[in-house]
Amino acid sequence: MTDAARPRTMEEIDALCAARAASPRPDEPYPYAGPLARHVRDGDRRLLRLAYDPAPASLRLWNFLLTEEDRLREARAAGHKLVGAMKDLGTVTVLAYAYPRVTAFYLDGAWWIPCIMEMSEGLLGVASAHGAGEGMCPVRAMLGAFVTRRHFPIPDLLVSSVGAVCDDLSAVAQRLESLGHPILWWEMPARRAPEPGEPAVPLPGGLRAPASQVALVRSELGRVRRALDGLAGHALTDAELAAGIRAANAVRARLDALREIVFTAPACPLPALEHQIAEMLVIHFCSDRDETLRVYDALLDEVRARVAAGTAVLPADAVRVFWVNPVADLRAMNLLEACGGRLCGTEFLFCHALDPLPEGVEPMEALARAALADPMVGPASDRAARIAADARRFGAEAVVVSRIPGASHCAWEGEAIAGAVRDRLGLPVAEIEVPPLTDALAPSIRSRLEALVETARARRRR
Amino acid sequence: MTICAGVDSGSRATKVALLDADGGALLAAGAVDAGLKPEAVASALLDRLLAGCARRRDQVGAIVATGYARHAIGFADAAVTEITCHATGVRRVVPGAATVVEIGGQDAKLLRLAPDGTVQDFAMNDRCAAGTGRFLEVVAARLGVPLEGLGALARAATAPAAISSMCVVFAETEIIGLLAQETPPADIVAGVQKSIASRVAGMAGRRVEAPVVFTGGVALIPGMAEALAEALGTAVATAPDPQMTGALGAAILACRRARPGSGA
Repeated sequence: MTDAARPRTMEEIDALCAARAASPRPDEPYPYAGPLARHVRDGDRRLLRLAYDPAPASLRLWNFLLTEEDRLREARAAGHKLVGAMKDLGTVTVLAYAYPRVTAFYLDGAWWIPCIMEMSEGLLGVASAHGAGEGMCPVRAMLGAFVTRRHFPIPDLLVSSVGAVCDDLSAVAQRLESLGHPILWWEMPARRAPEPGEPAVPLPGGLRAPASQVALVRSELGRVRRALDGLAGHALTDAELAAGIRAANAVRARLDALREIVFTAPACPLPALEHQIAEMLVIHFCSDRDETLRVYDALLDEVRARVAAGTAVLPADAVRVFWVNPVADLRAMNLLEACGGRLCGTEFLFCHALDPLPEGVEPMEALARAALADPMVGPASDRAARIAADARRFGAEAVVVSRIPGASHCAWEGEAIAGAVRDRLGLPVAEIEVPPLTDALAPSIRSRLEALVETARARRRR
Repeated sequence: MTICAGVDSGSRATKVALLDADGGALLAAGAVDAGLKPEAVASALLDRLLAGCARRRDQVGAIVATGYARHAIGFADAAVTEITCHATGVRRVVPGAATVVEIGGQDAKLLRLAPDGTVQDFAMNDRCAAGTGRFLEVVAARLGVPLEGLGALARAATAPAAISSMCVVFAETEIIGLLAQETPPADIVAGVQKSIASRVAGMAGRRVEAPVVFTGGVALIPGMAEALAEALGTAVATAPDPQMTGALGAAILACRRARPGSGA
């Protein structure tokens, strides 16, 4: 590990930030480079317990993430229409950003509020009181945030997919609607393999689906498009949508390049925590698509420079770990590295938002195909196959399947994924459950991660 | 002679094993209740065992700590997980072991071993204590039977009771209900043993390869190995001195640190 890139506490990061502000360099024009302590003052207490990458590009990433609420309020003040996209990891947001003066955001992202604020807002309790109890995924925090109205402006339009998507989110969204927040539902069928002789079309990620299913999704997204036309007071043209798809693909290409470098560099150039945050931006652009591009460009510059200089954020012998599912407590990613692991591949449930949207077909067809490639709407075996293939491609030595407490899909997917990895790659797999605050469970989670690292190291010696 | 030590600081008991780093012979081993100060308890036990061998702490070549409180053992040279230590310890006492089931006070583990004895893969319970020794403690307390008497009681069972809860707290409620229905305590204990065994079998899935070795403190309780064998559908051998295999494995790893290529 290189000292200049070693993880820092929040206080150390803010000291670096102050030093940079005192003598700014012309090549560091980062508009989001403020101290992290200001977010703690706003209640984001979890920041005090995390370890951070000291690169200015990473600080920009953090501040971009933590100022989304400000951007949304500014967008509304500037006359933008706000669209809340639910259970849609990278389709409706692409459509919405194709409109002038429309800003879309990802309401499911509220699931991190209990972690970031260390439960101080009581959002999960509020959600429980409104019928979304602890048997459900922590995404139910979104319901609490709607009730308290303290975390984001209430959107002008709520859109949610339903059907073969997340049961927990559907249940939470139904309770939300019962509180007087109307939702535009669009149907997502369970993706299936085409029957022999049945007309089929390719989907991103190497999948195929019956043409009839793609047509259904396209029709459903057409309803969303008409609703957005009405909201924006603007009939979106196919040319505008195609431009929006190209812009989204530019963002995805940057993230793809970042993943490739971070996962394959001999010495790890970016910590797992910052990498996870960076991946999440691709779903909804954190309410500013253009700044997302710039954040990615800065991160790419940093990791390329680190790789060229041989600068490592972790010891050289760190075990290469492929991580499945996002974690409700960000601290889990720090823990992986404290236990001797290094992120070398991810599948955070939105791999279809990493794949480029097709540009050689009509734009609505492209969106429909991308939506149907969602790993949650197909068989677990499809998802497991992609995870195994990516784990092989990135040279993983071990796999973590992180379960989300209460998330219904985790109950049946974990074993399918672990089985595929063991059978196809012979890699050790650890299944762990990560609640919104892991502090009390940290020794138990640590044991599993340390054992996984030890097992992978023993495998190296075999 | 260089001595190496393994300390297994578990949730219920602290175990220490001393090995001759050159020849690998087990010199001493002991266990005490874990108490509230893991390092102090482990230190006192280590010193007592060393005194029994007429040795002092400064004659110990290396110490490896394992168990739940392994990171709290400040005098250890390294901390290694129970997964690695139990695998190492079991392979010493049962060289052909392919699968290890370890049930301790607060968790249960299933290890698949590679031909060279290292861990190939593992699974651990993480939902609840219903598949662990804690469950047996709760039952023993509820029935007013000493923990070590549960096995003998279970042998008298004629129809093991069905315990369906996934949670040890609710399982205790079930037990209260069974007692209210005058279910014989023997049937309740046998039902609990069966419940623990079935949870381990569920964790194992299709990944059980014989020979299977049972270790950890719960392996001391008569009847558990039989319940496991029935649930796994294969013979289960209990490791000799099963409570000590973690400490033994830690001591072997300590010897490898102190004397790479030693006989341990």
